Amino acid sequence: MKSKRVYLRELAHARSGDKGDLVNIALIAHDEAAFEILKQGITSELLKSWFEGWTEGPFEIYSIESIHSLNCIIHNVLQGGGTTSRRLDAQGKALGQVLLQAWIEV
Amino acid sequence: MVKMSKIETVSTATPSVLIGGAGGFWGDRTYAPVDMLTHNDLDYITMDYLAEVTMSIMSKSYSSNPKLGWATDLERWLKEGGISLLREKGVRLVTNAGGVNPVSCAQMVLDVACSIGWTNCQIAVVTGDNVLSILHSSAKEGEQFQHMFDKSKEPLLHHDEIITANAYLGAGPIGRSIAKGADIVITGRVADASLIVGCMLHASGWAQNAENEGLPICGPIHSWSKKEQQESLDLLAGWSVAGHLIECGAQVCGGNFTNLPANVDISDISYPIAKISLDGSSIITKSKGGGIVNRASVIEQLLYEIDDPSNYITPDVIVDISMISIEELGDNQVKVSSVSGRLPPERLKISSCYHDAYFITSQLLVPGPEPLAKAQQTDKILRKRVAHLKDIIIETEFFGAGASLPLGLRKLLDKTTHSNPREILVRWGVSSTNRQSLEVFASEIAPLVLTGPAGVSGYSARSKPRKQLAFFPTSIGRERVEEQVEITFLHTLRSEIEERYPWLKRNVTTRIDKVIMNSDSRTKLAVARVIRRRLHMPRICKVVD
Repeated sequence: MKSKRVYLRELAHARSGDKGDLVNIALIAHDEAAFEILKQGITSELLKSWFEGWTEGPFEIYSIESIHSLNCIIHNVLQGGGTTSRRLDAQGKALGQVLLQAWIEV
Repeated sequence: MVKMSKIETVSTATPSVLIGGAGGFWGDRTYAPVDMLTHNDLDYITMDYLAEVTMSIMSKSYSSNPKLGWATDLERWLKEGGISLLREKGVRLVTNAGGVNPVSCAQMVLDVACSIGWTNCQIAVVTGDNVLSILHSSAKEGEQFQHMFDKSKEPLLHHDEIITANAYLGAGPIGRSIAKGADIVITGRVADASLIVGCMLHASGWAQNAENEGLPICGPIHSWSKKEQQESLDLLAGWSVAGHLIECGAQVCGGNFTNLPANVDISDISYPIAKISLDGSSIITKSKGGGIVNRASVIEQLLYEIDDPSNYITPDVIVDISMISIEELGDNQVKVSSVSGRLPPERLKISSCYHDAYFITSQLLVPGPEPLAKAQQTDKILRKRVAHLKDIIIETEFFGAGASLPLGLRKLLDKTTHSNPREILVRWGVSSTNRQSLEVFASEIAPLVLTGPAGVSGYSARSKPRKQLAFFPTSIGRERVEEQVEITFLHTLRSEIEERYPWLKRNVTTRIDKVIMNSDSRTKLAVARVIRRRLHMPRICKVVD
């Protein structure tokens, strides 16, 4: 069967924030069906390929069933933390919206 | 006398406490607290001013002026009507605005209170979060303080210039301050949600229980409740989640919100209010004005800056939100329940900062045609010109060409068609331990306008290197911090005298006020003013437990 490209923004809404040198990106599925697709599609390996150039990880993904949400933890991604990052988005605040532009094949 | 909290009844018939969260960081919109006090009948208003590195920024201003080192925005809104509203409406204020100098912050608050005649305002100060001297004395015993998350990093005490180290205190001393009669509680570093939990410790009567039994002002606070341990922990967890939801201000009311409905105006965004129930559940709502509170906005904020949802660690309780229930009630009200708690951690988190390196940023505008190619060429030229500087790290970002994305995602997104940018903003972020190298780098930016590719524009004065602070989270055994935590009350000589000798109030202090208001004798007026100034000076009273 041919796979289909599904954009994350069709499946979820998102918010990101920082803690030290890690960023957490919450992906909140629009409904249960979307949550199932997200759970299947979002893996540590996928996050690793997306964050190439910024971090080698580690990556953690927590699933919270009652609110259809995934909490993605991206470690070592802020060049030491919000105060030492040389990037304009030093705290990764944009990363939630950045991720919504990506897609997964289902 | 201890004032009892106003208890209001909501539809569930469970008593609940109204707590506002009118600020999410030092620099947030200063109109918010006055606006919130004006439009609501709250029991408590809380203001979180401290982000991870705020303490270090404050410590810089403290070292230049020992009366500073706290969040000066507090003074502004108190003077813009806030203090009168607190007094008239009987709302208690709990804030970590004290930063690295909570006593000076509290003196300011007392001055402002006296300026409206509130001379018996009870201001409690919580101190003891500063652990720098404990760290240094521990060094002799061989403890080096490992990084909390990354054990491969150099321990804290291997760095030379540690600027601040503060433990995150819990809610205990806040609750006890209010139980002792505080109208306003000023703290340094406490965990953000503990500001709210502290209010609940008083509203639930737990803090008064602890007062009556003479228990220490710091935890374990779940033992103050006279309930079964698990029930107490679950209640603390529920209150902590409510606190977490409102401590970032308008972020739960439609700010920074992906799903903001098109018809919701956030130009006059309002700030959140938690109606927290004594059964551990809460209803998150908002003040009058723009924005929205719905299930989605609450979930976004619930998951903001947390990692493992079954292990959200606060000094008061370890919170598990993996089974949480979020229920939309309509009319900007969302009910949050089914949160559980576990015993609090034995070690407290410390946030510390040390001086790491120097840092500058520069940027230039590169116009089309072919702006990206020209921008890349500009960067190449610059890097060649500074190639002799071996001790700098340069990060170049091409805004307009996907700089907000990591390389892997950029590759993915480049598979789709996209229009070429009309221009590129190039930004260089450069760090070095050598200040001079950065000055040389900065001097090479402006010349690119005359000696670089066509049309490069937008230079400004050479940017000056600034000190860069590195944030270092670590931890410490909680008993070592908690034994130095103290509650101090500030009041005026006048309120002490008036309380002790009521006849002096009748015959002296109020007459001094009258002289100042009515006297036409300059000498009388001058003398009365001098006396009143002395009467209104802050007096420090340590509370011994």
